[in-house]
Amino acid sequence: MFLYNTRLAWKSIRRNPMLSFLIVLGIALGVGVSTTFITAYHVLARDPVPGKSDSLYYVRMNSWGVADDPFLRTPPPLITYRDALELLKSRIPVRSTATFQSRANVFPEGGAHPFSKDLRLATADFFPMFAVPFRYGGPWSREADERPEAVAVISSALNDRLFGGANSVGRTIRLENHPVRVVGVLGTWRPRVRAFGLIGSALSPPEEILLPLALAGPMELQPHELSMSWRTPLPGEDKLPYASQLMLNEMLFVGFWAELPQASQVPAYKHFVDAYVAEQKKLGRFPHPNNQVTSMLDLMEEMKVVPPQTKALAAISLLFLVVAALNLIGLFLGKFLARAATVGVRRALGASRATIFVQHLVECELMGLAGGLFGVLLSLAGLAVLNRVYGDGPGGVAFFRLDLPMVFAAVGLALIAGAIAGVYPAWRICAIPPARHLKTQ
Amino acid sequence: MLKMENVTKIYRTGMVETRALRDFTLEVEEGEFVTLTGPSGSGKTTFLNVSGLLDGFEQGKYWLDGLDVSRLSDREMSRIRNEKIGFIFQSFNLIPDLDVFDNVDVPLRYRGLKAKERKERIDRAVAQVGLSSRLHHLPSQLSGGQQQRVAIARVLAGDPKLILADEPTGNLDSAMAREIMDILDQVNEAGTTIIMVTHNPEHAARAHRQLHIADGRMVDLERIAPFPLNRPQPVSPARAAV
Amino acid sequence: MEFGPIFRSLLRNRARVVLIVAEVALTLAIVANCLSLILDTRAKLARPSGFDDEHIAVLQANPFDDHLRQQTVLDSLVDQDRRALRAVPGVRAVSHTSLRPWQRSGSLTAMRVPGTRGEPVHTQICSVDPGIFETLGVSIAEGRGFTEAEYDHGVAAPPTEVQPVVVSRALADRFYPSGGAVGKQIGDADESQRYLIVGIVDHYYNPFGNTDERVVFQPARSVAFDRGSQYLVRTEGDPGRLLPQLEKALLGTEKGRLVQARTLVDDRTELHGPDRILVASLNSVMALLVLVTALGIVGLTSFSVGERRKQIGTRRALGADRAAIVRHFLLENWMVTSLGIVLGVGLAYALNFGIVTWVAGARLSPAVVAAGAVGLWIIGIGAALGPALRGAQVAPAIATRNV
Repeated sequence: MFLYNTRLAWKSIRRNPMLSFLIVLGIALGVGVSTTFITAYHVLARDPVPGKSDSLYYVRMNSWGVADDPFLRTPPPLITYRDALELLKSRIPVRSTATFQSRANVFPEGGAHPFSKDLRLATADFFPMFAVPFRYGGPWSREADERPEAVAVISSALNDRLFGGANSVGRTIRLENHPVRVVGVLGTWRPRVRAFGLIGSALSPPEEILLPLALAGPMELQPHELSMSWRTPLPGEDKLPYASQLMLNEMLFVGFWAELPQASQVPAYKHFVDAYVAEQKKLGRFPHPNNQVTSMLDLMEEMKVVPPQTKALAAISLLFLVVAALNLIGLFLGKFLARAATVGVRRALGASRATIFVQHLVECELMGLAGGLFGVLLSLAGLAVLNRVYGDGPGGVAFFRLDLPMVFAAVGLALIAGAIAGVYPAWRICAIPPARHLKTQ
Repeated sequence: MLKMENVTKIYRTGMVETRALRDFTLEVEEGEFVTLTGPSGSGKTTFLNVSGLLDGFEQGKYWLDGLDVSRLSDREMSRIRNEKIGFIFQSFNLIPDLDVFDNVDVPLRYRGLKAKERKERIDRAVAQVGLSSRLHHLPSQLSGGQQQRVAIARVLAGDPKLILADEPTGNLDSAMAREIMDILDQVNEAGTTIIMVTHNPEHAARAHRQLHIADGRMVDLERIAPFPLNRPQPVSPARAAV
Repeated sequence: MEFGPIFRSLLRNRARVVLIVAEVALTLAIVANCLSLILDTRAKLARPSGFDDEHIAVLQANPFDDHLRQQTVLDSLVDQDRRALRAVPGVRAVSHTSLRPWQRSGSLTAMRVPGTRGEPVHTQICSVDPGIFETLGVSIAEGRGFTEAEYDHGVAAPPTEVQPVVVSRALADRFYPSGGAVGKQIGDADESQRYLIVGIVDHYYNPFGNTDERVVFQPARSVAFDRGSQYLVRTEGDPGRLLPQLEKALLGTEKGRLVQARTLVDDRTELHGPDRILVASLNSVMALLVLVTALGIVGLTSFSVGERRKQIGTRRALGADRAAIVRHFLLENWMVTSLGIVLGVGLAYALNFGIVTWVAGARLSPAVVAAGAVGLWIIGIGAALGPALRGAQVAPAIATRNV
């Protein structure tokens, strides 16, 4: 029966190819447009560290020392280096890391021309916290953070460039004047959202060299992406060694993450941060305490990682789908009712109401399927255009990709639209008594 | 009122030519009630289409109400249909989405009459067919006879000189059919020329003149009742309003 | 015209009417909001910096050689660089500055009139040399620019000294709304430093930090080993063609650094990329939506014509000429479309309210809604015209057909 219905539907589709094309085009446009922009939204808004975002919390503390500026009453998005070192000491979080971006020149072996690279300084916990994949080796140890050891994790692209893609663990790269030993090479890693660097350009690709945070002082690595300062240097402060300056100044440039797998740990951790700030306040810092421990997803929302326009576009494209579905109802209705006479004959020949209903619904679904597949193609084209603007990451990984679940979702959406749009027309056509069809022929 | 001379109407479907009317000649005088009979496919409907300016013809001449209507533009033909001709169809041809009032209103709108006059004409015509109480019913809420009476009211409201009726009783039972025939008789009596196609010999016999058509030609001209004598006599109260 | 009967007949064809009305209403709501977003974004994109963007190149030189770690070497290198760049044929002006327009980056600070209290004003601040104004192509509207002596002295000046600054009109007006800002002082919010306004430039716009058009230009040689030095170069013709020569000029004075050269227009284009794609996306969504809706109207009107062939024949028999039939369908369509548009206006504002509340964006202007409504009206009539003309071709003789 299903095959028979399919054959009837196919014949009906072929009988009026122009109308059938319009219907399929209508579904395809609806699915194509909505899939494109919902994917764009989804890529930016989805959980950047699947399975972990719930337990990752970002810490902010108001260390601003200037009064009577409302701007300075909200805690700054970054903290000082020395506060970060103190927070790292807490054992409440399973893991915690402090991180910032810097920049340095890389000197290849053999005296080739140096090149400049963004660096990320972090602690050993960074890698498991943000589910960083490795091709060779692995993260440095917590001891390497303490000492600190001159070690680095590099991207596979940089490994290709410097070592021809060989396993470079144990080999040395030169950053400015410092030899640094490679302990790990990253696998393919292009998080859509740079979750650990939400303050700043969250959509940029991750840095290609990662170093222990504690190397900042000895290697004189300055914050590159973003830093804030409210206090002019004390007299003579800038003559001190850089490591001492880091421990003294109030410059804000470090992002701090704590991993708290159980919700019950959050208040305890917040209490720890409050206690630390209260103690510092006694020493004259933190005149307006205001501490915040924010979950990663909330922070993404707050930092508007998904541009509002992308959200608006996703919403608008959903409405587009509604319009396309309304359109579909109209076209199906017209198509079916124009055929009332034939249906009348079928009914008179003994086709039950259910049979007619199913026959027409099968036709809707067949067109829905065609429209869905066509729509996926349209959406691939749409995303290709978007990718040209947002650019590819290292290794040529396209920024916006249509993953398999999204393809299924798109085709499913088309089938649902086809079914919803088909139900009313199919009901209308099977609800009219057969005699009337015959008479009005 | 109506004069056709050697009118020929050809239908072409692909390579096949059908002469639906062949050298058709007919004269109908003002005030006459003429019936037309003939087997199916004989050209009755073609004659109605041509005489009602619903369709053109290839050869011959046609005068309507003294006017040569052989070659007119769509607009001119539409105007004549609207003002001089009233159609009554076998399947009533009421517009299903419009109620009685709006259906009767249709030709008056095309004539561009003022609302007040239209309303007067509609009320009068609907009263004449005895449906004043159904003014705001939809066709689907009326019986077949009532629907045909609405169609007649639609004609009467337009006050045409010629009524073309295409088997007006064909879809009705005999009681309803008689009602319709009575109304048509009254209308004719008031001076309107009527040409009616019918299969019913009893109804055909009520006319002044019975024509028979076969193979697109008039085959027999027989005057049944000398015009204008021997009219059927029923007079309804509605007549007074005409 | 037959408003009454058509309206009453529409009431009896609710499914079709509801579909078109809903489709038109939603379409108008979406189109109006897309239009509004497009206009907003385009206004943002079209906002001029006030600089001669088309003739400016940006050069960034980052030292890597060890001997460049000495600040004095770097400082004197800046002056050599400026001379070398100026000597390139086709160069109009050169400036060593920390200002990098169209990058959404820079320095911000908080200032107020010395001695006053209350909320300080946030402003962009950048170190410049005396050549900056000629290089940007902005003129000093009041007062004067900087001297080489002020520039040389800049970095070494002790905080106790009042430093000369040039500010934008927006900043001057903020502190001294009644004018006469030149010769008056402003200071850092923490009172660590005071500045004397020596000049005012009229136009300055660099999208960064919600500072509107406020900026403070400070004469200082801004160079360090880890930051490198940056030059803006104003050229006679297309700066893109001069980039290799400019790069070579810098490497000619000192090889121990990495030099990057770009045009300001490239920076601007890159910065505007996402907004441009937004405009293009909105445009295509809008166009496709209108296409789908127009197709829907064509389809539904076609069906309605096809379904009513007998009725059309009857109307023709009753005296309607072809024009009357076309008019009938157009009028019917116009009434449905209008109903959709009326609802759509309400829906457009509702959608806008939603977008403004939960997402972001500007309020809908009545002009935009009106433009969308008129456009949809025309498209609605246009879409119905084809089927209506086909309806007019129905032969009147169909009325007498009984089978």
